[in-house]
Amino acid sequence: MSQATVNTNTKIKMTNISKIFETEELETHALRSIDLEINAGDYVSISGPSGCGKSTLLSILGLLDMPSDGEFYIEGVNVTDLSLDEAAEIRNSKIGFIFQSFNLIDELSVFDNVALPLRYSKEKMSEQAIKTRVNECLALVAMSHRVSHKPNQLSGGQQQRIAIARALVANPAILLVDEPTGNLDSKSGDQVMDVLEKLNENGTTICMVTHDPRYADMARTQLKLLDGAILTTPDIVERVKAAV
Amino acid sequence: MSQFIYQQKQAWFSLKQKPSFVASVLITMGTTLGALLCILTLAYILIFKPLPYPEQSKLYTIEHNLIDAESRIDGRAFTYPNLMHLYQNQTVFSDAALLYYDARVLTSKNNQPTLSTTFVTPKWFELLNAKMVIGRSFEVTELMNTFNPVAVLSYDTWQKEFNLDPNILNKKVEFIGISYRIVGVIEKSFIEPQLLAKGLKTQVYLPWDYNSISEQNRKEWGNDDGNLTFIGKLGVNKTVKQINQSLTSLINDNWQKQVSGRKFFKDWSIGIKVHDFKSVILGDSENTIYLLLAGVIGLVLIACSNIANLFISRTAEQQRELAIHASVGATQKKLFYTILSQTGLLMLLSVICALVLANLGFYILQNFLSEQLPRVDELAINVFTLCSAIGCVVLFALFFAYLSSKMINYHALNLALQSSGKGTGIQVSKQTRKTLVITQVAIVTALVFVNIILFKDSIKTINQPSGFNIENMSHLVLGVSPAKKGEQDSRAAALLELRKLLLSQPEIEAVSQSTSPLMRFGTWALMQNVTDKRYTPGGKYIDHEYFKMIEQPLIEGDFFNQGDVQNNNPVMIVNDIFAKQLAPNGSALGMMFNGDMQVIGVVKGVQLPGQSNIRARAYYVTSYAKNMMMLKFKPGQDLSRTQVVALIKEASSQLTLFGYSSLNKSKEKMLFTEYTTAITSASLAILTIFLAAIGLYGILSYSTQMRQFEIGTRLAIGAQRNDLIKMIIKDNAPAILWGFITSFIILLFIFVGLSDVLITYINAQLLSILAITLFLIGFISLFACYWPLRTIINRPAIYALKGSD
Repeated sequence: MSQATVNTNTKIKMTNISKIFETEELETHALRSIDLEINAGDYVSISGPSGCGKSTLLSILGLLDMPSDGEFYIEGVNVTDLSLDEAAEIRNSKIGFIFQSFNLIDELSVFDNVALPLRYSKEKMSEQAIKTRVNECLALVAMSHRVSHKPNQLSGGQQQRIAIARALVANPAILLVDEPTGNLDSKSGDQVMDVLEKLNENGTTICMVTHDPRYADMARTQLKLLDGAILTTPDIVERVKAAV
Repeated sequence: MSQFIYQQKQAWFSLKQKPSFVASVLITMGTTLGALLCILTLAYILIFKPLPYPEQSKLYTIEHNLIDAESRIDGRAFTYPNLMHLYQNQTVFSDAALLYYDARVLTSKNNQPTLSTTFVTPKWFELLNAKMVIGRSFEVTELMNTFNPVAVLSYDTWQKEFNLDPNILNKKVEFIGISYRIVGVIEKSFIEPQLLAKGLKTQVYLPWDYNSISEQNRKEWGNDDGNLTFIGKLGVNKTVKQINQSLTSLINDNWQKQVSGRKFFKDWSIGIKVHDFKSVILGDSENTIYLLLAGVIGLVLIACSNIANLFISRTAEQQRELAIHASVGATQKKLFYTILSQTGLLMLLSVICALVLANLGFYILQNFLSEQLPRVDELAINVFTLCSAIGCVVLFALFFAYLSSKMINYHALNLALQSSGKGTGIQVSKQTRKTLVITQVAIVTALVFVNIILFKDSIKTINQPSGFNIENMSHLVLGVSPAKKGEQDSRAAALLELRKLLLSQPEIEAVSQSTSPLMRFGTWALMQNVTDKRYTPGGKYIDHEYFKMIEQPLIEGDFFNQGDVQNNNPVMIVNDIFAKQLAPNGSALGMMFNGDMQVIGVVKGVQLPGQSNIRARAYYVTSYAKNMMMLKFKPGQDLSRTQVVALIKEASSQLTLFGYSSLNKSKEKMLFTEYTTAITSASLAILTIFLAAIGLYGILSYSTQMRQFEIGTRLAIGAQRNDLIKMIIKDNAPAILWGFITSFIILLFIFVGLSDVLITYINAQLLSILAITLFLIGFISLFACYWPLRTIINRPAIYALKGSD
């Protein structure tokens, strides 16, 4: 992991990232030369039609998958070619995931689900410290009253809030959010979006994939993907304008 | 009916799509059910099937016990005069026959084969309903003391030695100087009761009058001979106890009168016990059968849990297909029948394979284990086997169908269609998976543990040092006619000539006119002078070369010298075990027995292959007329059977070659049971471990697959590979541990239930064997935990999350 000379405010920097899926007969370019920079406190949405590469981009952003080409930095650390375990370590300390289908573990209680990233952390925390931190995060999503419940005893919206608490628990550099309202009714969806907005207002950096234009508009920076390439980067345009 | 055929066709087409699944089921179930059917048939024949003789339950044989003054049984064989007294005076049996088992060299054939020969009285054929394929059996013309030299051949002998010659009744067979006219051949289907030893098949039947007991021994009230046998059909309605009492008094009263003048037999007595044929033939094989059954049932259980797992995975895989069936109106019952027709078809095919394998098993048992197990000749696919086979098809088809269908939540089936595989499909419950792991580990641990014990024990017996050397040695037995008076000297001269000839061969290093060290020791009656104390050690006739040849060490005193043998001196050598009995704190040297017999040496005791202890033994000076020799060859040298036959012919026309075998081969034969046990237990252990590895891998692989999404999530939030390996091991450890505990309980039950049989196996070494077993099974379990997981954790996390999200 080498340090790059980037702005210390930059959380994510991607240069010329591409992803090609190869089969015996076919080569699919899921992402083409993506350049992307996300700064601290940003709220970025990535939207686009089905199959445009949103999920692939998010997987690479979250170190769940490797790019075929290009360079990728998280908080100035080059994470392009990490081993599986190194990637896991970075995911644990710097990335918080929120999935469309919540991905909570049914056998574990709400508390244990939220505490899970801390248990995988390289820096071992005391039980007391874990408890304090988990309760803090549950308070942030207004779920402190459901600590001992199992996920399947909760509503979809509640489950997603637990998932948000889990994503926050290790103080990540960025929250990666994948269609957070996809499995929720509109009321619960709105609640979840409110939580995310509030978190962003308090300084959390968020990058969200969604196909819902209403929610995409809630982000300050909106990227549109089509056939694996970014169509507009208004933020960059704005910055250029500002510079001129 | 058409519905049934339609379902079978559908089942066939569905299975054809999955050849590897079908192959796994057929191989696993075919092999294990084959073994099950083979052993079940054997158990049925040995335990339930009546013997193939008329009124078989009334057929009895008699055990003759020579009981010493301390009420210990000294010998279990008949003395000739007692047998004759019983035969002539008993009233308990309506029909009776006498048998003497022996072997003879067929001198009328060029290759001079040695044939097993049984001397019988005519009733033998009637009692056992031995029908002739050609000619007649023995009749009044062959009654006792008629001395009519005729012979009846077994079908096998007619085929092997006479190529089924249709003119066989015009032929004769000659055994050492006596020509017997062949009067009949027994039917091929006749099964001889193996009363003397398992696997012993008579090749030629000769009239009782010609049996090998010498004139002298026919009058000896104290010399017993294990080859003498009495059989009879019960003619009175009395209990066994009453019969034993009446026969004991018949024989013992007369015997006491006959031996009243002999000091040695003071306070000795005769006890008679009758045994029905079935118990004699079965012998101690019942335990072996139960052990075999337990082993094979264990294998079937492992196979079942493996296959159950395969069926469960297949049902999970078929959920979409089943959902479509349900959506177009298939009832729950219909779905069960759909699955049943598949399991039924697979089990039918498995059982067909199993029947073929069972037949192969029968062949192996008949050809390699006929001396270890009784009645194997009767093994064939019979009504019982077929019924068991059908039973297996029905039972296993229903069991697997039930198990598979139990997984289907009919009401939730439509969800499978709606969700299109979004993770709401059929899953095997955690409890079922756990139970499968526990069962698998429990059975496998118990089986592997038992097999390692058996393997180690037989290897120990095979490798235990015997205390003597038999390298490069062969044993030669010469065929001679029973010596009549005045013939001893000429036979001794012939044997001396042969010995000289053998010694002059460049291949031979030494010759000893002795019985093989591997041959059974005879029982000798010794009474110590002065004290009148009686002993019955094992006895063997040897010459002065014997101990040096086999390198059996002398502890004190001397070996025999040539003069002892030449003059037939009354001296003997004892082994250290017997010496200790004779003189616990001093020396046995110089002790006198039976008048003038003196102990001149003490040798270190030797252990015979397959025996667990060293017994008290005495060695006597042989006579030059003794028809046995040991040959020691120079390194790398040997003499063929043909060469030996030529030398015998050159030496004397009186002698024939009766037996010639390398001592190492004889040793291997004596250790056959141990070798068989070692090979069988090792193969069973390996097969069990193999099946366990497949089974555990199957279950754990399935459960890991089921958790793929969860594992993906854990990876996404930063779990490292080691964390997940530890997690899977930790999650499965309780089931594996419960499996171990269950196996301990099973083993404990076995050890407590069969403690008297297993007492020899219970020692401190069990702990190390247990440790090895636990290590092996533990290792396999760990492997089964890790291996399926590796495909998930060794790829980027997104692959684990894909498909589920």
